Amino acid sequence: MERYWNEEIETMSREDMKKLQDERLVKQVHHVYDNVKYYRDLMDKKGVKPDDIKGVEDLHKLPFLSKADLRDAYPYGLLAVPLSECVRIHSTSGTTGKRVVAFYTQNDVDMWDNCVARAITAAGGTKDDVCQIAYGFGLFTGGAGLNGGSHKVGCLTLPMSSGNTERQIQFMQDLHSTILCCTPSYAAYIGETLHEMGLTPDDIDLKAGIFGAEPWTEEMRLSIEKSLGIKAFDIYGLTETSGPGVAFECCEQTGMHINEDNFIAEIIDPETGENLPDGEVGELVFTSITKEAFPLLRYRTRDLCVLSHGKCKCGRTLVKMTKPKGRSDDMMIIRGVNVFPSQIETVLIAQGYAPNYLIEVDRVNNNDTLDISVEMNPEQFSDKVKDMQKQERALADAMKLMIGINPKVHLVSPKSITRSEGKAVRVIDRRKLHD
Amino acid sequence: MSNVKQISVFVDNKPNQSAGVMRIIKESGINLRALSLADTADFGIIRLIANDTEKTVDILRAASYAVNVAEVVAISIPDSPGQLSRVLDALGQDGVNVEYMYSFLGTSDNAVSFVIRVDDNAHAAEVLTRAGIIQLTENDIAEM
Repeated sequence: MERYWNEEIETMSREDMKKLQDERLVKQVHHVYDNVKYYRDLMDKKGVKPDDIKGVEDLHKLPFLSKADLRDAYPYGLLAVPLSECVRIHSTSGTTGKRVVAFYTQNDVDMWDNCVARAITAAGGTKDDVCQIAYGFGLFTGGAGLNGGSHKVGCLTLPMSSGNTERQIQFMQDLHSTILCCTPSYAAYIGETLHEMGLTPDDIDLKAGIFGAEPWTEEMRLSIEKSLGIKAFDIYGLTETSGPGVAFECCEQTGMHINEDNFIAEIIDPETGENLPDGEVGELVFTSITKEAFPLLRYRTRDLCVLSHGKCKCGRTLVKMTKPKGRSDDMMIIRGVNVFPSQIETVLIAQGYAPNYLIEVDRVNNNDTLDISVEMNPEQFSDKVKDMQKQERALADAMKLMIGINPKVHLVSPKSITRSEGKAVRVIDRRKLHD
Repeated sequence: MSNVKQISVFVDNKPNQSAGVMRIIKESGINLRALSLADTADFGIIRLIANDTEKTVDILRAASYAVNVAEVVAISIPDSPGQLSRVLDALGQDGVNVEYMYSFLGTSDNAVSFVIRVDDNAHAAEVLTRAGIIQLTENDIAEM
């Protein structure tokens, strides 16, 4: 029997969901127009008035918000309530530029916790579970988001934060954790460490993992599931809309259900901004219809994915999004070809390598170079140089098939690529194209 | 069979990599009998023969190195012109393919020793015996 956290919402008919969204959207547009000068100016410039928005079908009339807007408006420009109403701030990692800060009222935090509770329930979590949270705690939304949802469900919560991997495993054993929450790259590292400590999945009680905050492939899912003996669930979110829990995977593992009573999702053509129908790949755009403090309308996530409204076997009617192929920030354009780190990861795991790699892009004599360092597989180590070079060539050929351009593959020692305890750094781009 | 066990270690093509391997071996009190380094643009393969193969493999694996053990042929030939050529001729005429080889110090001033990595150890041993070449055993090497 599938369990739901908010059965009424999660299995609501499409008509009722639309009605709910219409109502909340109309109210939200007024709230934003009245309280956020930055967005009011954008609407005025586009000639749209709050009364023009009567339902979801009018959403396309509203202007987009991008990450650049959030930076321009830093820190208070998109705040829609007095600061005295806010109870918390979270922030993006700021690795791609100036930080983005997001504000939360108590209602916003409750809504967010509720979204995460749905995700934990969909992963099989109940108040009888022990939930180990190995996401970083702090300004990053990972730790706080899963912590809030875990409390809401009533799990015994271990707010471990990330790092100190052997201690993570020690706690996992001593306190019988049943659910692990962290980034997929850290889950892979915990699995690797478990085996290095001479333990197997039989020595721990984990049954499920909820992993997100970075893109990961199906191949990586299978490898984590095997090394930890669990079922691994994806969770999606972004600081700009709240944090993890905007969408979550159910037991079907065929896409993530979007909590669309709080976030309306659209797919647009990233070039033209036009809406695209179900089944087409495009950029995911979110409109927060219940957030009070930081209510972004039509926020462009830069994540590329596909939406589908078909009813899921799990009984949920919430629209599903595919795993983002990658954030368009992660996409590299090399010799004119779009390349995602996730494509490289797919090849590596399929060829029996660990998902630890480093992609280096540079430009030499006006030619892009792509170098991929991969940890060699000790089981395939040969004393013959030609055998090892054959392995490098086979990997390069498989990658060429996947991405369309020829990379240079370098085998490096096992464990020589730094392990990530949070979001993994996979790409170093040394090209200086604009200076 | 008189084959000798050779240990290979994968090292990155970066400063201090071989030194790291040697430091671990030194600290464990293992004595090396033979060593060669093959290198490519990306990585190197250290090949060595130690007086205690099992222990060497254990400590290197414990330090996360990729390690492989292969059986190789070790020979001792007189230190005079034309001797190695005689060995390689014998192997070549019988179709034994040599992957790589390297020399190492023996105990005698009048002889030199070689490690030879071939595809087919049994075949090579037979050819060498027929040609009257002295093949070294694990014991011979351990006692050096």
